[in-house]
Amino acid sequence: MSYSRADGLTDGIFTKLADIWIRRGYTRYRVSRFEEYDLYAKNRSFITGSAILTFTDTDGRLMALKPDVTLSVIRNTVPSPALRKLYYCENVYRAADPSSGFSEIRQAGLECIGPLGLFDVCEVITLAARSLAALSGRYILDLSHLGLLGGFLEDAGIDPALRPELLRLAGEKNSHEARALLARNGVSPHIAGLFDTMIHLRAPLEEAAARLSALPLGENAAQALSELARVARALRGIQGIYLDLSLRSDERYYEGVVMRGYIPGVPSPVLSGGRYDGLMRRLHKEAGAMGFAVYLNLLERMLPAPEALDADVLILHDGADPEGLMRKVSALEAQGVRVRADRAVPEGLRYGKLLRYDGGEVHE
Amino acid sequence: MNDMLNVALPKGRLGDKVYALFEKAGYGCDDIADPGRKLVFESPEHGVRYFYVKPSDVAIYVERGAADIGVAGKDILLEYAPEVYELLDFGVGKCRMCVCGRPDFRDDPSRTLRVATKFTRITRDYYAALGRSIDMIHLNGSIELAPILGLSDVIVDIVETGATLRENGLAVLAEVCGISARLIANKVSYKFKYEAVTALASRLHDRIEVTQ
Repeated sequence: MSYSRADGLTDGIFTKLADIWIRRGYTRYRVSRFEEYDLYAKNRSFITGSAILTFTDTDGRLMALKPDVTLSVIRNTVPSPALRKLYYCENVYRAADPSSGFSEIRQAGLECIGPLGLFDVCEVITLAARSLAALSGRYILDLSHLGLLGGFLEDAGIDPALRPELLRLAGEKNSHEARALLARNGVSPHIAGLFDTMIHLRAPLEEAAARLSALPLGENAAQALSELARVARALRGIQGIYLDLSLRSDERYYEGVVMRGYIPGVPSPVLSGGRYDGLMRRLHKEAGAMGFAVYLNLLERMLPAPEALDADVLILHDGADPEGLMRKVSALEAQGVRVRADRAVPEGLRYGKLLRYDGGEVHE
Repeated sequence: MNDMLNVALPKGRLGDKVYALFEKAGYGCDDIADPGRKLVFESPEHGVRYFYVKPSDVAIYVERGAADIGVAGKDILLEYAPEVYELLDFGVGKCRMCVCGRPDFRDDPSRTLRVATKFTRITRDYYAALGRSIDMIHLNGSIELAPILGLSDVIVDIVETGATLRENGLAVLAEVCGISARLIANKVSYKFKYEAVTALASRLHDRIEVTQ
């Protein structure tokens, strides 16, 4: 496999990200390319896209090419009063949707596992913001607290059967259908209006928390808001962090703070993460956990347009005088000219000037 | 240039109808009246750039960020479930997604129902919600032929006036959902062009309310 311009870009970015994470005491975590399939089979919906590449190992065990890193990290977590702070950069293998086939996806990220407190949550969010800043001068880190919208629906006494559809519509910022659904189910226009306000609220985090506190929220939503407001105060001064309650994450795995990061020019989130205490419980681990992943493969779009020419000068020669040709090519190279020597014009090569080497000299 | 809003409109009658709403909302573009061979129409004074694409491709242009916003039918949004925001219901291009078949068709729950359709996801979700097992037959066109020739028991398709069904001796047996044109936005564009997108959506919303 050849080393592409995209590989060079992602290597460079990972070095920058790792430098940010190392400064907060995160250590490199390496995983093998394979894992027992059983780990993923039990938590399939945690992994984006359901298809996993499997094979039978020499001892008969069904193995998978790793579609995700977080599950492996958790599996190897042992109870400890101290936090595990890890970062990784690995290739994962999965099919985003059945029609697209399998892809090798380069993913970097960090995980903070253990007895998490407010400081640790804020530190992970801070590192997410700094990671985005390392990718682009302009970035947006959207934050939400899953307990806010969920708590609001519970406080308002909305039928739990409606909850998945309402949260889906919230994810689309789809006011018209959410209002119609609530009206069909006898929910008051006042509650529908509050739901609408919440899914469309978009403001810097602290300002958004203040605006939410002015709404008549019930006990569950107010508790989530109180947590979010503390996070907002602790993050004061960090630019680019917004509240967006329309963010969706699978509530079987995630709870509390979730986040997505965006940079201009890439049409989908380049960073995704949040608190996944629910996943920890499903894997029988008594600890909190929070982390995020940066999708390095999406950053290929940041590559500048390729050079118009493959070589500034193409020198054709007959191979009779290698010493003399070496001197001429080196002299041109020393002038900053990209030079290619060949015996014939290569098919498809884009070059500036065509020269011929003959009798110890180059001629046009 | 990138600060302009790129708007993907569906080619055809629906595109003309919704463009008229954009124009009335204050986002007109003189070039569209005289398109010639142009594919892209810019209105720098209103900060918008329009282009017309196949209706079923609008959601792809928006999801992939080639367009910041676009107008797509609800049938396309339900069928392809793109990762986009759905900001408005234009209330135009109204029709229904329906289960159709021979008027005397009676479903026999002891047999697997054979359903022909272009809209496999919508059909699968509809019958899954009913708990009905089906044999899905994916067709690309002339769906009405399927029950006539015995290829399927019923079809799931868009019904506008019902004239084609009637002419072929078919009838609507059940309505799956209503369809109309929706304003959609790329999620990243929505964030980086928030003021422009929300101002446009708000002015369109006001215009739609006046029209309705």
